[in-house]
Amino acid sequence: MLKMTHLSKVYRTEVVETYALRDFNIDVKEGEFVAVTGPSGSGKTTFLTIAGLLETFSGGEYHLDGIEVSNLNDNARSKIRNEKIGFIFQAFNLIPDLNVFDNIEVPLRYRGMKAAERKQRIMDSLERVGLASRAKHYPAELSGGQQQRVAIARALAGSPRLLLADEPTGNLDTQMARGVMELLEDIHREGATIVMVTHDPELAARAQRNVHIIDGQVVELSEDPRFHTVHAAAGDAHA
Amino acid sequence: MKLHPILAALRKHKAGTVLIALQIALTLAIVCNAVFIIGQRVERVNRPTGLDESNLFLVSQQWVGAPSADNADGVEKLDAMQREDLAALRQLPGVAAVAPTNSLPLLNSSWTGSVSHKPGADLGGKGDIRTAYYFTDEQALSTLGLRLVAGRNFNAGDVQHQGFRDQRDRPVAIISKALADKLFPDGNAVGKVMYSDGSNAPTTIIGVVARLQIPSIGSWGSSFAWYSTLIPTRLDGGFARYAVRTKPGQLDAVMRAVAPALYKVTPMRVLDDDSVKPFSEIRAKAYRADIGMAVLMGVICLILLCVTAAGIVGLTSFWVGQRHRQIGVRRALGARKIDILHYFQIENLLIAGVGVVLGVVLAVGLNMWLMTHYEMTRIPLLYVVTGVLAMLAIGQGAVFVPARRASNVPPVEATRAA
Repeated sequence: MLKMTHLSKVYRTEVVETYALRDFNIDVKEGEFVAVTGPSGSGKTTFLTIAGLLETFSGGEYHLDGIEVSNLNDNARSKIRNEKIGFIFQAFNLIPDLNVFDNIEVPLRYRGMKAAERKQRIMDSLERVGLASRAKHYPAELSGGQQQRVAIARALAGSPRLLLADEPTGNLDTQMARGVMELLEDIHREGATIVMVTHDPELAARAQRNVHIIDGQVVELSEDPRFHTVHAAAGDAHA
Repeated sequence: MKLHPILAALRKHKAGTVLIALQIALTLAIVCNAVFIIGQRVERVNRPTGLDESNLFLVSQQWVGAPSADNADGVEKLDAMQREDLAALRQLPGVAAVAPTNSLPLLNSSWTGSVSHKPGADLGGKGDIRTAYYFTDEQALSTLGLRLVAGRNFNAGDVQHQGFRDQRDRPVAIISKALADKLFPDGNAVGKVMYSDGSNAPTTIIGVVARLQIPSIGSWGSSFAWYSTLIPTRLDGGFARYAVRTKPGQLDAVMRAVAPALYKVTPMRVLDDDSVKPFSEIRAKAYRADIGMAVLMGVICLILLCVTAAGIVGLTSFWVGQRHRQIGVRRALGARKIDILHYFQIENLLIAGVGVVLGVVLAVGLNMWLMTHYEMTRIPLLYVVTGVLAMLAIGQGAVFVPARRASNVPPVEATRAA
């Protein structure tokens, strides 16, 4: 489903080159629920933005659902984002001027879907996240957990091949976070492929597989000494 | 169409939307009427007088110590002096024709009266038709370049002379076609008679010229602007005017030769810099106010349009800045650059659409108010339709740059911290 090989992302200024990802390799199979963890600045978000075709990369290869995406133009990348990928953002990213129904409709309109089908999909996805009664509410009228459920409904409505979640519970309290996580688990059980970036080891533990990123590279948790250093530091901090 | 979400978003930004729509409406109302007025002024300035204006100039001069025109002897002496001047001017190299005249079209110095089918009619009475008189001689048509469409020209035998303040019968006249049509709607005015200024003596119409504007360009003369009457009479007074037509390319040389030639006849006269002027200068002076008004209104229109366009640019730029992250989210959800561009263009079209609908109502209302209070005619639909299309085009033009900037917001913006 998602395969990156020797992928790199370099941010260049006049005086310095900074590698956000270096020789990055990952292979996510269809139907997997993968949690991507790592310390701040390790490259998790960069990985997610490249995986979601929100950014281009500097070198290597990236195959998404069998398509090599490195040479695609902006329109083609938009089309793939719209049809194959569902995004769940930490800050929900609902459009405040639109009500719940209209928010979920946004990606479906860009797909050129007919009104009747759009409505059916929106109501189905709202049912799925338990917010069918809130279709006419505006984001500001909903709790954080409800807003994230709407964002999930928006991601699901397009029947994406891949769900990308960026700290989906980062802005929620424990109870709401639990609800959202259970929803993601349900969605995964129904066959969805999910890649979730998170700081939270508890959330990561609930995923099918964990991928750890340090300094822009995927590391084997048991072998890489940097992982132990980072975790030791985290342990000290907690203590 | 993706109108619903755009309308939904606009409802959340009522103040800016209403203000821009009102600005567009006011601009449309003012610009439509202003352009209509400009159009009328331009049409007025460009209307032909009926003269062949090229190679034509006017000499206005005053004798010093001239005999009085209040007695017959003085009138005779003045007429002799005028004939000497005419002869001197006609002999100048490069001169094609010269005619005495009391005025010219656009000179704003006119002798007006009225003509009627009946003798002894009261001035201003029923059936009276106002006209402006040109007192001249047998060279008038060739000097002024008037086109005879019926009858004959004056001959030397038709020409009389009279003191400036004298009343004299007018046995024959040539009239403009507009006046002929007004007097004799059935046509064939030549050979028929009319009575001028309440006189009991008939004036036989011997010719009709295609077109001849009266000297006055003021609004009071607009009702009879084309009703001119040529009388073959030299007016004798201390002041005389001569219309001079030169051969092609000789205008400047002949104008320079006029003063020496007339001074040679007699130096007892006043001829200053303003005494000899080409017709082009008369036309320019006559319509200076109209042109000034048209330019002023044009500048005001331009400023209004620029302010409106700047308002649209400003508001759209503000909204683009305000919705930066939202645009990134839309891009992340699959919007192409062109979708974002179209979003802002359609949004502008909706606002401008409301603005122009309101603007059409205001434009017609303003036009009706101007019609009631001033000499304004009904604004043609074409002006309003053109104004509407222009406002929509300006709106689209103004929104393009900020909308294009919006379309360049990268999708990764969706992941940036708020």
